[in-house]
Amino acid sequence: MANPSFDTTTLGATHPLRAGELAHACGAEIDWVVQLVEVGIVEVRSPAERPDDWCFHSADLQCALDVRRLERDFGVGLDAAALILDLEHEVRRLKALLTARGLAREI
Amino acid sequence: MDFKDYYQALGVERNASDEDIRKAYRKLARKYHPDVSKEPDADRRMREINEANDVLRDKEKRTAYDALADQVAQGRYAGAGPGEGFQPPPGWDEGFEFHRRPGQGPADHAEFSEFFSSLFGAAERRSAERRQYRARGEDHHAAIEIALEDALKGAEREITLRSQELDDQGQAQWKTRTLSVKIPPGVHPGQYIRLAGQGMPGHGGDPAGDLYLEVRIAPHKLYRIEGRDLYMTLPVTPTEAALGAQVKVPTPGGGMVEVTVPRNARNSLKLRLKERGLPGHPPGHLYLLLEIALPPADTEVARKAYEQLAQAAPLNPRQHLGV
Repeated sequence: MANPSFDTTTLGATHPLRAGELAHACGAEIDWVVQLVEVGIVEVRSPAERPDDWCFHSADLQCALDVRRLERDFGVGLDAAALILDLEHEVRRLKALLTARGLAREI
Repeated sequence: MDFKDYYQALGVERNASDEDIRKAYRKLARKYHPDVSKEPDADRRMREINEANDVLRDKEKRTAYDALADQVAQGRYAGAGPGEGFQPPPGWDEGFEFHRRPGQGPADHAEFSEFFSSLFGAAERRSAERRQYRARGEDHHAAIEIALEDALKGAEREITLRSQELDDQGQAQWKTRTLSVKIPPGVHPGQYIRLAGQGMPGHGGDPAGDLYLEVRIAPHKLYRIEGRDLYMTLPVTPTEAALGAQVKVPTPGGGMVEVTVPRNARNSLKLRLKERGLPGHPPGHLYLLLEIALPPADTEVARKAYEQLAQAAPLNPRQHLGV
């Protein structure tokens, strides 16, 4: 029997995540998403008055999940989490660059 | 499935205080965090450490786990049977009510072991059901790795998910399901594909949660991916770099394009092929990083040619070193 096939949506400009959906995906409340926006960890892609109407993309979900992990594992505050995420992204970017230039073993 | 020793995973004694556990966890997390660790099995160790930390930092889970570990150690509970590995005894968690700590979400446990799920997964869900009469089901998180070609052209891939579900009697049962997932063209690493209603069932008639698949693209022999942009090293000869040239370059879509290498091109010069990266709005670019490949001086003719070049175009590449 063929496996069930599902229509998929790719998170992005055409199919964004609402703030409530982002919160639910992270097991959090919408107030937490508001805090992420205030700190600059996630970016509201379509500005709106009410947080319920805010839209987010895949990168925001990834950042929000990473922050959730940092909060859980290290008990860090959101400002520290934002800094750690920036540093993590930079480390990954530099590692990818070194790998592309055949220098991955140097690190 | 084997019984996991969470104390051993964190390297602490059974009577370790909360502070001891916190310190041990942070020390190991620094050692095994995939972004900084040089250990070959850093990912696996980090998952083990996270799982052990989740249980031992939670008073209720730790007490229940200790009681079960005692039973196992005393041989009062031998497991499912010879060769079948460990299965928790029925009702082992009676009297405990596990729930996630504030700040924990469904994604936090997505990568934990079958052992963890068999102990705490079903109990957490029963607890959630008791506390919330109506609630949308939790979202599930998983990853799907595809080839770069699939990201460019789209594809249909099967994924197998294993998760616990409660039967009519409220007992946890492992269920495996295989889904066919349509990968749309233009997905890029870190993007999420959402399958509505494929998460956990809802409570009290509310809808099921969604399944979020994080797209990962397998390493490619030619291209490195950054967002929607692709990077490729393009080897050129010293002559091509010095005099300029038209060279053929394979594109990710399968075709060939002719690229102009400018005169006096230096090593690592970046050339951009506009909108030849991953499709999207806007599409990514293909970047070519020039790498000057030296012809070996392994014949008399080649050695002479290098000597003539040195005379014709004298160069001191160490001038800035003061030598």
